Amino acid sequence: MVSGQRTAGSGQESRRLAPCSLSAARCPLRLRGYSLIEISVTLAIFGIFLFIVVSLTAEMRRNEKRWPINFMAHPDISAVVSRLRRDVYDSKYFPDGWQSYSQSNETPIIYTITPASGETIVWDFRTPGQVTRHAWTSNQPQTDWTARGTPTFTTEKYDAPNGQKGIRVTATDDKGKLAIDQILIPRPHD
Amino acid sequence: MRRRGFSLIEVLVSLGILAIVITTTIAMFAERSRRLRQAHEVTLAYQALANEAELWRRVDFKDIDAQPLTFRSDLTIIAPMTPYSASVKIDTPRSDVRNITLTIRWDTAQHAVSLALARADTGGSNLW
Repeated sequence: MVSGQRTAGSGQESRRLAPCSLSAARCPLRLRGYSLIEISVTLAIFGIFLFIVVSLTAEMRRNEKRWPINFMAHPDISAVVSRLRRDVYDSKYFPDGWQSYSQSNETPIIYTITPASGETIVWDFRTPGQVTRHAWTSNQPQTDWTARGTPTFTTEKYDAPNGQKGIRVTATDDKGKLAIDQILIPRPHD
Repeated sequence: MRRRGFSLIEVLVSLGILAIVITTTIAMFAERSRRLRQAHEVTLAYQALANEAELWRRVDFKDIDAQPLTFRSDLTIIAPMTPYSASVKIDTPRSDVRNITLTIRWDTAQHAVSLALARADTGGSNLW
């Protein structure tokens, strides 16, 4: 009984896998392979799809290159700008030097007012990819805060049309495009 | 069925699904690109507006009306948005109040961002 079933099974399998002539009209499609026109149409559709995807990707890359990197989307970098803005707004004057630092575009020094007394702040932009804010109360170091992964910041003196002195802080991306440009002018203080 | 090839309805359904996939992909790419561009533009425009607002905050109240209604800050940062237009509008709701509205328009004026600044005559120093 068992051997009979095996015999029958072997017979069906041998029929299914019987050699098929390529020219045989009744030969199953899958065994004949695909015709030239079938392959051409399939490749044409795939080619259109591929062309659309590639051209859209290229267009996006061209568009992205046109714009500077949006540094403001990075929390550390926007924190640098907002802390520097607050320091300049609260500043009374910009000392020529402090401790081992000299007033320069890479190390702006700011004397700020605080509810208790005053603070001397030094922003250090000299290390590429890093910004450090040093704060002193009187001669005592108070806080050091460092942001990493930043672009190269630079500052310059800015003369407002009304004669007030301020700071212009800028940063460019690795392609040299201006990405951050902020004018900061101190609040008037008594 | 397979020996006869695919029927018309099968081919049409397959092409319909393929068309939906291609259309969705294209729309997704285009929308992403558009939103990314808008985000860049708005970020840059607001930096330019903030810079100009910084200057208008410092103008003495008595001199506000005599100021030219143009941007005086450097607008290099919005150069990628060329052509653009920048305008200043001053409203006088009360004699001791000036509302200053700074606006940048670009993309043939289809897009615009504004920043409004209220200045009040404190009668003393230029506090804000």
